[in-house]
Amino acid sequence: MSKPTVGIFGLTGCAGDQLVILNCEDQLLDLVSVIDIRDFLMASSGNDEVCPLDVAIVEGAVLSNRDAEKLRAIRNRSKFLVALGTCAVWGGVAAMDRGADRRKLLQEVYGETGLSYDSAAAQALHEVVKVDLNITGCPIEKDHFLSAIANLLIGNPPLYPEYPVCTECRMLENNCLLIERGQLCCGPITVAGCQARCPNLRVPCVGCRGPVVGDANPSSLLSAFEEKGFDRQAIAARLRTFAPQGGPQ
Amino acid sequence: MRTVVIEHLARVEGHGGITVELDGNTVGKVRFDVFEGARLLESLVRGKRYDEISPILSRICSICSAAHSLTSLKASENAFGVQISPQTELLRELLYQGESIQSHALHLFLLAVPDYLDLPSAIALAAIKPEAVKLGLRLKKLGNLLQETIGGRAVHPVNVVPGGFGTVPTVDQLIEVRNALIEGLKDADTTIDLIASLPPAEFCRCDTAFAALRSPNPDNYYAGDEAVVASNGDRSTMRAADYRKLANEQSVQHSHAKHSSFGGKPFMVGSLARLTVNPQRLTGKMAAAMERLQLHFPARNPMDNNKAQAVELVGDIERALQIIEQLLRDGIKDERPAEVHVRAGTGTAMTEAPRGLLIHSYTYDGEGRITAANVITPTALNAACIEMHLRRVVEQCAEGEEAVLEKRLQMTARAYDPCISCSVHLVRKL
Repeated sequence: MSKPTVGIFGLTGCAGDQLVILNCEDQLLDLVSVIDIRDFLMASSGNDEVCPLDVAIVEGAVLSNRDAEKLRAIRNRSKFLVALGTCAVWGGVAAMDRGADRRKLLQEVYGETGLSYDSAAAQALHEVVKVDLNITGCPIEKDHFLSAIANLLIGNPPLYPEYPVCTECRMLENNCLLIERGQLCCGPITVAGCQARCPNLRVPCVGCRGPVVGDANPSSLLSAFEEKGFDRQAIAARLRTFAPQGGPQ
Repeated sequence: MRTVVIEHLARVEGHGGITVELDGNTVGKVRFDVFEGARLLESLVRGKRYDEISPILSRICSICSAAHSLTSLKASENAFGVQISPQTELLRELLYQGESIQSHALHLFLLAVPDYLDLPSAIALAAIKPEAVKLGLRLKKLGNLLQETIGGRAVHPVNVVPGGFGTVPTVDQLIEVRNALIEGLKDADTTIDLIASLPPAEFCRCDTAFAALRSPNPDNYYAGDEAVVASNGDRSTMRAADYRKLANEQSVQHSHAKHSSFGGKPFMVGSLARLTVNPQRLTGKMAAAMERLQLHFPARNPMDNNKAQAVELVGDIERALQIIEQLLRDGIKDERPAEVHVRAGTGTAMTEAPRGLLIHSYTYDGEGRITAANVITPTALNAACIEMHLRRVVEQCAEGEEAVLEKRLQMTARAYDPCISCSVHLVRKL
């Protein structure tokens, strides 16, 4: 069987999800023996920028026409496209306030020069092209990337948790930061898969993996927070830090 | 007139390129282009509460995410006058050492070394020198073990909070890290041999100014409040609060990174600058490593930054071991974070990220909500100096093929270990 051809790309973001791939120190050399990485700018200068790809893995959000064109070109040469990380799946931190006046913000930071920059409000990949698989996380969990590759090699879609961080946190028998300590923890509304990293260290969840799709009940959660004395607007803003409304389809 | 364009600079973090205009033997414009989209995070955090800032601004960059998180916390703590415990200070320093080990190993083995052997990547390097790649991956893993143990995650640490840590590591965890560091010392030693064995790379020689945090202790990246700019034997000192003198920035059309200069001259930050500014660090194993690498000061070749990173790998592992020994000797206490009492005011913090000086400066209102945030990153500080060195490379590349010049330009830019995601974050005009 010939090795599947793979491209790994970054749009606008922090490159943290590509870094998690490079952080698979124990698996990296085995990984390149089962997949044929043809295009990976962050790790190689010998890339084929036009060849057809079996799998394209794309991190980052779309923040410019340049990003959008690049993403469309990647989609056109790929059979299967993976959105890697919260920015790609949801828009991420750059999308926390998409209603803001970007011209004003650009001018503030760069002066008049900024008005000529190619810059637009952050979009998730699915808002621009068709996405075949979402791997969320800011950054992604290493195991989720490796299981995606393993499953794709045998032709199965990988399965990720669809329940909230709370479920994982309870299985670890932690004290509840929200109920017992009155801290603003986003665990009830954030999708699991991180083994409740933050609350397990007594740190409230900030929602970096994006929300649970479907099941979670944001309005009842909002009421629970309000009962603890938190201001409704502040809670709503916090819940949208990593994922604006409207998620992956 | 001809133009040399490197459209996509590979093996760096983020999206950038190089453009050089040549008219016969005359060098016209030389540009380090930054195409990274502007996320405007400093503007988007306005109005957020102090405890939300560090997790958001950490996302400026993954490779330096621990430095961004901790510089952010330090700036907020300075604004509120929060005193952290000596144990917190040591643990934060340890996290910096872990980040530096990971970052330098990533840069040296996966990004920089393949060039010296005319290879496109570490994957190609693994085919002919698997031991070299495995060595780099072991060091990377060591840095990540430290980051996971102290920070709770290798990328974007979750365990660092205003005033301290969510949960401090256990004695068993510290012992596990100590044992890994002892193994790592041997790997760092082998790294010096490997880097010393590479073919020489010198594509330009020129006087360069260097800026780095003046560290109160040897090998310190986190503590300290003063930067030193060293240029031709002169040393100027500047406090964190006066950072605008250093980050005297200008917007330029070709780049979303502004350009910095000090006294009208560009300066270099990063490993080479740290060693230049803090020669008191250079004793024992680090001094021996410098000798083996034939690294001498004042450095006039920007490629020496690769050697300096190798020297720091040795120093980082030694320093991390010292910190762990001290924590084990003193006994690690299950401390809760120091209490934070918000007040209106400004706080600025300056630390050494793996790629050089990093500055966060915030203003808060009386409710603990941020009203202004400035982040100045090493690659933004380096941008003007990168262009200066690229220009010298073109001038000093006597003749020959375009491919030779292109390779030299790329290797020189890469030696800075540029982090282009970081570079787009700038001083806001006030």
